[in-house]
Amino acid sequence: MNSASRVFLLFVFLVPFFLGCSKDSNSQSVKTQQYFVEGELLYTKHCSNCHRPSGKGLGRLYPPLAQSDYMKANFEDVICLMKYGKQGEIIVNGKSYNKSMPGIPSLTELEIAEIATYIYANWGNKQQLIEIQEVGKILEKCSK
Amino acid sequence: MKLVFNSQKSGVKSQKVFRAILFVGILIISCAPKEEKLPIFGQREVVGTDTVYHTIASFSFVDQDSVEITNTTFKDKIYVADFFFTSCRTICPIMKSQMLRVYEVTKDMPDVLLLSHTIDPEYDTVALLHDFAERLEVESNKWHFVTGLKDSIYKIAQTSYFATAMEDKSEPDGFIHSGAFLLIDKLGRIRGKYDGTKEEDVNRLIIDIKRLRQEL
Repeated sequence: MNSASRVFLLFVFLVPFFLGCSKDSNSQSVKTQQYFVEGELLYTKHCSNCHRPSGKGLGRLYPPLAQSDYMKANFEDVICLMKYGKQGEIIVNGKSYNKSMPGIPSLTELEIAEIATYIYANWGNKQQLIEIQEVGKILEKCSK
Repeated sequence: MKLVFNSQKSGVKSQKVFRAILFVGILIISCAPKEEKLPIFGQREVVGTDTVYHTIASFSFVDQDSVEITNTTFKDKIYVADFFFTSCRTICPIMKSQMLRVYEVTKDMPDVLLLSHTIDPEYDTVALLHDFAERLEVESNKWHFVTGLKDSIYKIAQTSYFATAMEDKSEPDGFIHSGAFLLIDKLGRIRGKYDGTKEEDVNRLIIDIKRLRQEL
């Protein structure tokens, strides 16, 4: 076997890997989009009455989710409060909020992952898929 | 010679156009609806030569500053009334964000006030309403959040404002109530009813407030 055919074989061997990889990252972005779309529906149903469709909140009654320093710094808390609610004072972008938020115990790990993907990707927070497994681990911690 | 003829012809033409415009113009003017007065809601009775309209019954509630709020508070004022409760997660936050728009628009209209009644007076105490209004960042002499006897609130909702408000434990938050905004004139008569959860309806309310202020 000469070196040219060796290179060729190697190439043939490697191509499926590249294809495989690109297909994989493609399906990852499809998944993110699915989560985003589902998350938007769930957000509209469960969250947007108070936090507004724009994510800007209302006065000092309901804190904003858009450009929220609290959300950036308290990812695990955000995951937990969707299911278990939140009491007591929190400071968001320098303003104090202190009305209790009821949780929605019926939300599944998938639904929370979808809402989180939506609210984090939508308003200039961090943009990435939030996986069910990650949500599961966090919820396990805060349910204790 | 030819030139003169031409100009005569164009003169006739422009006259025709002028007539046509005049005709259409008159048609448009005569067809355009006159700025009608807002309707007056509810039953009316004719007493002698006078028509007696439905008005808001007398009431006495307490607002977020512990000030007694009665019909006299709204003497010579136009006001917008609604029914809500602070722990409501369904339509109330939407209503409040819409009422906040009305608040912003009418801020500099001293003859326009806002009145929100809680339908959960057991939970919504004066202190809680005070905190709520403060967090909404609104002035208490412009926007009164009132509480009082539950029966009185439900009764005035249903019989005076024609708004639904009642307790229902099967509802997610425990109450059924309409998201209506009611526009009340200086004589205590209902002049408009709007869906406080719909932006377009609230746009109409804002226009109607301005129209009502023009009325003598």
